[in-house]
Amino acid sequence: MTQYLVKEGVKNLIHPDEQLITTHCCYCGMQCGMHIRVHKKTGKVVGVEPRYDWPVTRGKMCPKGVTAYQTIEHKDRILRPLIKKNGKFVEASWEEALDLIEKNFKRIQAEYGKDALAVFGGVSMTNEKCYLVGKYARVALGTRFIDYNGRFCMSSAAGGFLKTLGIDRGSTLPWTELEHTDCFFMAGTNTAECHPTSIQWFWRAKDKGAKLIVADPRETPTARVADVHLDLKPGTDSALANGIMHLLIKEGYVDEEYVNERCNNYEELKAMVEKFTPEYTAKITGVAPEKIVKAAHIYGRSPRSVVMFARGAEQQSKGVDNVSLYTSMALLRGQIGKFASGVATFTGQGNGQGGREHGQKSDLLPGYRKITDPEAVKYISSIWGIKPEDMPGPGVSAYEMFDEIHKGTIRAMHVICSNPAVSAPNLEYIWEGLRKLDFLVVNDFFLSETAEFADVVLPATTWAEDEGTTTNLEGRVIRIRKVREPLGEAKPDWMILSKIAERMGKGKHFQYNSAREIFDELRLASKGGKADYYGITYERIDKEDGVFWPCPSEDHPGTPTMFKEKFGTPDGKANLAVVDWEPAGEEPTEEYPHYLTTGRVVFHYLSGNQTRRVDFLKEQCPVPYAEMHPELASQYRLSNGDLVKLTTKRSSMVLEVRLTKAIRKDTVFVPYHWGKELAVNQLTSACLDPVSRMPEFKVCAVKLEKVSAKEVKAQ
Amino acid sequence: MRKIMYLEFERCIGCRSCQAACRECGGHEAKERNYVEYVDFMESRQTYPMLCMQCKDPACARVCPANAIQITEEGVVLSAMEEKCIGCRNCTFGCPFGIPKFDFEANKMYKCDMCYDRSKYDIAPMCASVCPSDAIRFIDFDEMQALRRRRAQMNLVEGKKPQEGNKWEYVPEFFGVYTD
Amino acid sequence: MQRLEKSFYSKTSMYAFFVTLVLFFTVWIGTGKFQHIDMALLGYLLSSFIFAIGLTVRMCSWLLRPATYQVVKRSLKNLKDKKRVKRNIISILKTAFENIFLQKFIFKRGIYRGVQHFLIAWGCIGSFAITFGLTFGWMRFDLVDSDTYQIVVMDLPTITMKAHGIFAEMIYNGLNITAVMVLVGVCMALARRIVDKDVKVTQRFEFDLFPLYLLLAVTVSGLLLTVSYTFLDGWMHHYITLIHQITVVVMLVYFPFGKLFHLPIRPLATAVPMNYQEEWKVDTRPCKKCGATYSSDEQIEDVKGILQAQNFDLQLADGSFLADYCPACRRRMRVMKQLNMEAPKGNPYGPIQTLNGIQISGFGKKRSDEFYNIPKEEEKVH
Repeated sequence: MTQYLVKEGVKNLIHPDEQLITTHCCYCGMQCGMHIRVHKKTGKVVGVEPRYDWPVTRGKMCPKGVTAYQTIEHKDRILRPLIKKNGKFVEASWEEALDLIEKNFKRIQAEYGKDALAVFGGVSMTNEKCYLVGKYARVALGTRFIDYNGRFCMSSAAGGFLKTLGIDRGSTLPWTELEHTDCFFMAGTNTAECHPTSIQWFWRAKDKGAKLIVADPRETPTARVADVHLDLKPGTDSALANGIMHLLIKEGYVDEEYVNERCNNYEELKAMVEKFTPEYTAKITGVAPEKIVKAAHIYGRSPRSVVMFARGAEQQSKGVDNVSLYTSMALLRGQIGKFASGVATFTGQGNGQGGREHGQKSDLLPGYRKITDPEAVKYISSIWGIKPEDMPGPGVSAYEMFDEIHKGTIRAMHVICSNPAVSAPNLEYIWEGLRKLDFLVVNDFFLSETAEFADVVLPATTWAEDEGTTTNLEGRVIRIRKVREPLGEAKPDWMILSKIAERMGKGKHFQYNSAREIFDELRLASKGGKADYYGITYERIDKEDGVFWPCPSEDHPGTPTMFKEKFGTPDGKANLAVVDWEPAGEEPTEEYPHYLTTGRVVFHYLSGNQTRRVDFLKEQCPVPYAEMHPELASQYRLSNGDLVKLTTKRSSMVLEVRLTKAIRKDTVFVPYHWGKELAVNQLTSACLDPVSRMPEFKVCAVKLEKVSAKEVKAQ
Repeated sequence: MRKIMYLEFERCIGCRSCQAACRECGGHEAKERNYVEYVDFMESRQTYPMLCMQCKDPACARVCPANAIQITEEGVVLSAMEEKCIGCRNCTFGCPFGIPKFDFEANKMYKCDMCYDRSKYDIAPMCASVCPSDAIRFIDFDEMQALRRRRAQMNLVEGKKPQEGNKWEYVPEFFGVYTD
Repeated sequence: MQRLEKSFYSKTSMYAFFVTLVLFFTVWIGTGKFQHIDMALLGYLLSSFIFAIGLTVRMCSWLLRPATYQVVKRSLKNLKDKKRVKRNIISILKTAFENIFLQKFIFKRGIYRGVQHFLIAWGCIGSFAITFGLTFGWMRFDLVDSDTYQIVVMDLPTITMKAHGIFAEMIYNGLNITAVMVLVGVCMALARRIVDKDVKVTQRFEFDLFPLYLLLAVTVSGLLLTVSYTFLDGWMHHYITLIHQITVVVMLVYFPFGKLFHLPIRPLATAVPMNYQEEWKVDTRPCKKCGATYSSDEQIEDVKGILQAQNFDLQLADGSFLADYCPACRRRMRVMKQLNMEAPKGNPYGPIQTLNGIQISGFGKKRSDEFYNIPKEEEKVH
C-alpha cells in the first residue's frame, strides 16, 4: 500500500531510490501538508517535498516546516530511558524506568492520596495521544489533577467562543474561502510570522481588493500592508472592540435582522458601548480616533468580513472578554455562518484544536463534555469501562497546578509533550515548584528544560514515527502518517502511557495495538458530544482531504461552515458580549513605566525545544532580543546592539537591544522561545483570566536600565 | 509554454522559507543561494527576496577569466564549474545584482540554479514551492504577463504611470526571472 | 613582431607554428638527429604533435577572451613590478603547493573527492610526463653493459643504474604506477557519479563522463599490455598494443577540447593572491554606499575593464558603476529601483518609504478614501 497521496496532474520530484510519505507538519495549527522523503533501502528520512495539492496550504511551508524533518533523526534525540542518579542522567532499560515509576507513583498515592499525582499534557501531539492522556490521568492514575499547555495558548479563545457561540471551534469557516473575503479585522495576531502559510490566503484576497485592518502594538509584517493599523496599547483590546461596536451601531452598520433573530443581549450591548466614543476609545487604547473611525467604516461597509485574533488578544487576564467582544463584532455584522465570513482564531499549537476537545483539560471529558455533567461522566465511564463514581472530579488549570505543588497537595507529576519550564509565566516560581516535586516523569524526545528537572525521562517518538490524526486550525481532522520506525528504544506516548497503566494495575483499560484502535475508541467517546468525531475515519480523511467536525455519522459530510442555522448555545442564539473595559492585571507605574509584551519569531516554535536544535533556524535567530522604538531607547541612551536590563516585579534579565520604528513608543517586545536565563517568561505576569485561567503573557510593566557587557560579566 | 519565475517584493513577509528550502535542493550541499534582506529594519519590516535573474547574457559569465559559468539549453545560468573555477570572485563583483556567493573553503562560487533538478522537469523550484506569501512564484509566461498588465492597469487607475523604462535601465535581457 | 604576425593567417596559427617548430627541434636534439627515434612510438609522436597544436589553439582562444586577457595582463604587469616581488613569490609558491600540488580545496569539498582527484591528477600528469618524454625522444635508456642502463636526457647521458635494481624497476614501471593511480581515481569518480544524485543534476555525458571512460580505456588497455607480456607471454599483445594506441590517440586529440583542459588553466589561480586578495578572506575596498569592504581596488578595476571591453559597463546615471557597490547594496538598489523608490520621495532626509503608491491592490499602497467609499463628514452627522 502506498503512503503517498497525490492528485492527478500534480508533479513531485521523486528520486528513484526514495519514496514519499504524505503527512503534515509537526508544528503550528496550520498543519501544512508535506511529503517526507524516505530512503527506500535504509528507511532513513532524507528530506521534504512540498505537497502542492493539499488544499489549505498548497505546498507552502515556513522555514520551520521545511526543516521539520531534521528533528526526526537529530543527534540530540533521547534514545533510551534516562534515570537521574546523584543529579546526573544515566541511561537505563525500560524495565528499570517503569519499575521506578511504579514504585514511586504507588508510594506517593499510598501516602498522600490519589490526587498527589498530576499529569501535565500538551497538544503538539495527535488526537489519539491527547485523548489517552486524559484517560490515563483519570483511569490509570485516578487523579483529578490533569491539565495541559493549551492553558497558555488556546483556552481564552475556547472560553470566549463557548460563551458567545456555544461551541468552541477555532474557525467558523474553512480557510480556503478566505480569498473571497472583503475585509479582515485581525487583532493581536502576527500572522506573517506565526502562521506564515496562511498569508497566501490574505494576499490573494488582497489582490482582489480585500481590506486589512490590523490591531497590534507592533507594525508586524501583516500590519505593514494593512489599510488601517490600529497600534493599540497592550491590554486594551476590549476597549477597541467596544469602540468599533459603538461606531457600527451609530453608523447603522448592524445587521439588525440577523441580530434580532439570532443573538441575545443586543439592547444591553447598545447600552454598554454607548460611552465608547472614538475619543474615549482613543484615550484608553492610544490609537488615533480617525483611525478607529476609518477602521469601523471599512469593516462596517464590507459585505463579507472575518474577524480574526490570536494570542495577542487571548493571552491577557481579559482574554475571554476580548474574544467574546471581537466575536460580537462579527455577530453585529451578521457574518457568522455565511460564505467567506465569520470569526476565527489562529490556533497556535499543532493540535491545539483537537487536543482541547478530548479530555486533557481539567474540566472536560472527550467530545467537549463537561466533567461536572453527570450524564457525560456516565457515558464516558461506560466507554472506559469504569464506574461513574470512580471518575475524578474537575482539577485546576495548568498554572494553578504549580500553586498546588507549592501547597504540597501535588507531590509528583508526569509531564507529557510539554515544556512548562519555558512556556509558563513567572518562571522562577515554576522552577521552584518543579524542584519541590518528590518525583517527576517527563516524556520527550529531546532533553527539554523541564526534562532536566525530571527524575525519569522516557524517550518518546517524534510525530513522524507514529500514525494518528490531528485537527488543524479550521477544525479539519487530518491524518499524520508514520514515516519511519521509532529511533532507538523510543516509544510513542500512547504505548508509554499504556505500559504505566499496566503497572498501576489498570492494564485492561489500555489494551491497544495501534493508534487506530485508540481513534476508534475516541470516535465512540466523542459521539454525541459537541466535538463529534464519530463519523470520521482514516479512510475518509484520505479521500476527502480531511473531515471537518462535527461529523456525527459516517454518511455525514462534516461541517466546514459552522452555525449556518443555529448556534451551539442551549437556546440556539449567540450571546453578544456585554463587557466593560478593565485595565490589565499589571499596568505601568512610576517604578515600572513601560509595557513589556512577548511573542514569537517565525524561526521558532513554542518553547523552542525542537527548533533551537535545527541548524538553519538557530542560525537565523540564535538568542532573544529586546525590540523597542528608537525614541524609547534614546531616553536610556540605548543604541542598536547595546545591552539592556529589563526588570519586572518578578525578576530581571539582560538582552540585546534591537531598534525599529515599527513598534509603539511605550512598549518593549521580547520573543519567548528560550529557556533558563534567556527565558523572558521569568518576567511575565501570572495574572490569570478569571474564566479561562490563561496567564497574562502579553502585558506587564517593565523597567529599563542600560548595562554594559562588563557589568553583566561581573555579576 | 515554459514556466518562469516571478518576484513581487512587496508580498515578502521575511520568513526566509525560501532560504531554508534552498538548502534542501539537490546539489546545493545544504547552503542557501538566495537572499532575504530587510530594506531597513529601523524603518519598517519590509523584506525582499532576491535570487539570480538568469540573464540571457550574464555579466558573471562575461567577467569569468576561467570561462567557468555555463548556461543550460533551458537558459539556466549554472554555478561556476568546479573544475574550472579559479576562485577569483570576479563573477560576484561583475553581477549587477550581487548574486553569486563564494565558498572560501572549497574555493568555488555557487549561485542560484533555479533548482535545476526540479525546473528541468517543470517542477517548481523549492523556493517558489514553499514561499508562503507568493512573493516568489513559478508560473506560466502568459500568467506573468497578465499579472504585470493588471499591475500596470491598477497604477493607471491610481493616476500614476508605471515607470517601466526606468526600472529596466541597467537590467540586461532576462530569461526566466521577472520581478515587479 | 607585427610584421612577423602579419605573415601568418592569425596569431593563433603563428603560435601553433612555433610550438610545432620548437617541439620538432627538441625531438631532433633528443633523438640525436633522429638516430634514436623509436619507430614503435611513431603513432604516439604524431598524435602528440596534434595534441600540442590543439592545446596551443585552445590556449590562444582562451587568452583572447576579454576576462582572461585582463587578468593575465595584470598578472604579467604585477610580475614585472619590482615592488611586488615578495608578494609575487609567495603567491606563486603558495598556489603551486597548496592549490596545484596538494589540491587542498578539493579535499575541503570532501576527503573522497580529494583522494579521487589527487590520484587522477597526479596519475595523469605522471603518465603524460613519461609518455611525452619517451615519444618526443627527450629521454631514453641506453644499455651501457649487460647489467647497467644509462638514462639519456636530451641526448645527454645522465645517471646509470643497475638493470634490475629497485630504482630501475620503479622507472620501468613508472607508467604502470601512474596508470594504477588513474585507474583507482577514475573508478572512484565513476562510482561517485553513479551513486550521488546531486552530482547528476548538472552532469552531462559528453562533458563529465566521456573523459572518465576515456581515461578508463587508456589505463585498462595500458595495464593489460603489462599483464600480457609479464604474465601471459605476450598473449594478444599485438591487439592490445593497437587498442591502447587508439585510445591514447583519441585522448590526446580530445584533451585540449574537453573537460581535461582545466589542467593547463589551473595556474591562473595564482592571479587571485597575486592580483586581488593578498590575504585570504580579507577585503580592502569599501563600498561606495555603505562602506563595508567587499573586494580590492585592482579587482574592481579589472571587472570594470572587462565589462567595458564588452560594451556592457553597467554604469549608473550618476557616473558610478555597479561594481563600485558591495553585493548587498546592489541587491538593495535593484529592489528599490524596481519599487521605484531609489531615493526617498519628497524629503530626502525623511525615513525610507516602502510604500510607493504604484503597487497593486493594497500592497503597501496608500489608497484614496474614495476607494473605501467612506461617507463624507456631512453625511456622518446624520
